[in-house]
Amino acid sequence: MTESTARLSPSFARPHSRVAIRTAKSYEMDLSSLLVETLREFDLPVRGKTVLLKPNFVGPDSSGAVNTHPAVVAAARESFLRLGAAKVLVGDGPALERDTEAIAEAMRLREYLGPLAGSFVDLNLDDVHRVLLRTRASSLCELYLPATVLGADLIVSMPKLKTHHWAGVTLSLKNMFGIVPGSCYGWPKNILHWAGITPALLDINSTVRPHFAIVDGIVGMEGNGPIQGIAKPCGVLVLGDDPVAVDATCTRIMGLLPERVEHLARAGLLLGHLREENIQQLGESIVSSRTPFSVLDAFCHLRSKGANNGRGTPVA
Amino acid sequence: MPGSLRGSESCSETTGDASFREQFCLRFLRDAQNPDGGWGYRPAGRSGVEPTSWALVALAGLVEFEQARRWGTDWLLATQLPDGSWPAYPGQDEGCWVTPLACLTLHQLGVAPGALTKGIDWLGDAWPGEGSLWQRILQRLSSRPAVTRQNHSLRGWSWTRSTSSWVEPTAYALILLHVVFGSTLPRRLAKRRHLAEAMLYDRMCANGGWNSGNPLDYGAPGEPLIGPTVWALLALQQHAARAENQRSLDWLASACERMSGPSSLALAHICLDIYSRPTRELESVLKRSYATNEFLQSIPALAHAALALDPTRKWLQAGTKGAGRS
Repeated sequence: MTESTARLSPSFARPHSRVAIRTAKSYEMDLSSLLVETLREFDLPVRGKTVLLKPNFVGPDSSGAVNTHPAVVAAARESFLRLGAAKVLVGDGPALERDTEAIAEAMRLREYLGPLAGSFVDLNLDDVHRVLLRTRASSLCELYLPATVLGADLIVSMPKLKTHHWAGVTLSLKNMFGIVPGSCYGWPKNILHWAGITPALLDINSTVRPHFAIVDGIVGMEGNGPIQGIAKPCGVLVLGDDPVAVDATCTRIMGLLPERVEHLARAGLLLGHLREENIQQLGESIVSSRTPFSVLDAFCHLRSKGANNGRGTPVA
Repeated sequence: MPGSLRGSESCSETTGDASFREQFCLRFLRDAQNPDGGWGYRPAGRSGVEPTSWALVALAGLVEFEQARRWGTDWLLATQLPDGSWPAYPGQDEGCWVTPLACLTLHQLGVAPGALTKGIDWLGDAWPGEGSLWQRILQRLSSRPAVTRQNHSLRGWSWTRSTSSWVEPTAYALILLHVVFGSTLPRRLAKRRHLAEAMLYDRMCANGGWNSGNPLDYGAPGEPLIGPTVWALLALQQHAARAENQRSLDWLASACERMSGPSSLALAHICLDIYSRPTRELESVLKRSYATNEFLQSIPALAHAALALDPTRKWLQAGTKGAGRS
């Protein structure tokens, strides 16, 4: 069972986290070698294990900025297999589009992964089990969650580097909304919005904490994300075994302050490291990777000084 | 087991008109029935109310599937909660969006009018969380600027108890009310239908079609999706001549040209056909799709394919079976 059994410990009681920023200018390059090399640095216990890759699949995406790119997903799958994983599944439960096969076909997932039957799991329609949530940030108390998620030995959250019109940013923590099954909660999973995005995120991630995160920042999305924003070439993959630290690093790359993103600030208290001094940076530096993202006016307060000259650029 | 069938092998055995439906879809559904009588979202998956409902609707009226239908109906009736609603899965203690689908199934099968009436009664009382007087006061007092354009006083149905109205659950409920009662609804339900229809039109995307329920978000127009558009159009078919319906049908017809998901294509085919719009040849498209991804083994997708290839559309016709009257 992947239901997290790790002790929830405050930030000061945790060892430093490590986050790797890797330059990746295009989806055509050899991403698999890059990922294998980086994953080896983390020495993940994957040999003989079942790994679930949880990308962010939203809908048909002509800009290439909405969904985690299938090239990154395929490279991650190959990498974990090369590192000895017994089985690598890919699964997501899109929030809005019920026809997951239509999304997969529109993004040409089959060309990258091969036959989808057997390797791809629509988490919206997976068998479910009742799970008591480990924290009470929201009033949810329990959720029905997919058997594939609960049965995986290692969960890898694979979001796209995007702004979000409700949460500020959507990265590896927010990506875990996609494990909540539509079969029980609908499309969208509106119960999570009523519970509050931040509290629901905290409860889900405390209960099913991703063991690793790989963020597709080769092309991200700025402005009115996560669907209607503008493609933002950023040229990085960000990886780490602390999803909070990964998201904080990504936020800094976007030129935003993670301490001002509500769900990150609160996750930093209990689920992982937020502060830069507690995160050991591997690969490229944040400064050299920084690519300021425009944000909606409602999120101008997230912007760090000097990251951009002016206000955000809302999409009208 | 249907799960072991390979699309290319099984599809190549089928020939002739409607053979994919009869020789493959329906048999697949029959063989995918669980020992408990229900269907899961995939073969051998845990029985759930939505896949069971769609499988039963697809198998309705076919003598050779009588036994499967009886077991399935028993499972469905055993899953109903004391308050008349249905949960997504047995063992869950709260009714949700699958209730109108279960009711539609019982109506289509012409069985258990008492259970159907209880289900409809529950729907009549199941108000969404938004739009109440208290919610509107809170909204007015909120310092947060409104970021969506919608009239919160127009309420339909929610996916789960006391959350917001959304297009699909609202459409399912309206379709049920239409096929059970036709145009003569009890007063209480007539009021809900009026509000729900207005809500659907309020949530329509600017250029036609529907997404899950956000036509405008942070100033940007929402993009329609095939599924919600189909269900909304089927729910509003009594208003076929309205410009909104026609504009949405135009969008749907054009969206089908670039869509490859089998469930979406099957549903769009049903909808366009109901509205007497031209449809493309579907069977060979579905066959090819199955050979490619095996519909991701989705029981609802198989059922939708079977229903799309059945030209009678009985399950959408008003007043064809015995109905509960609340």
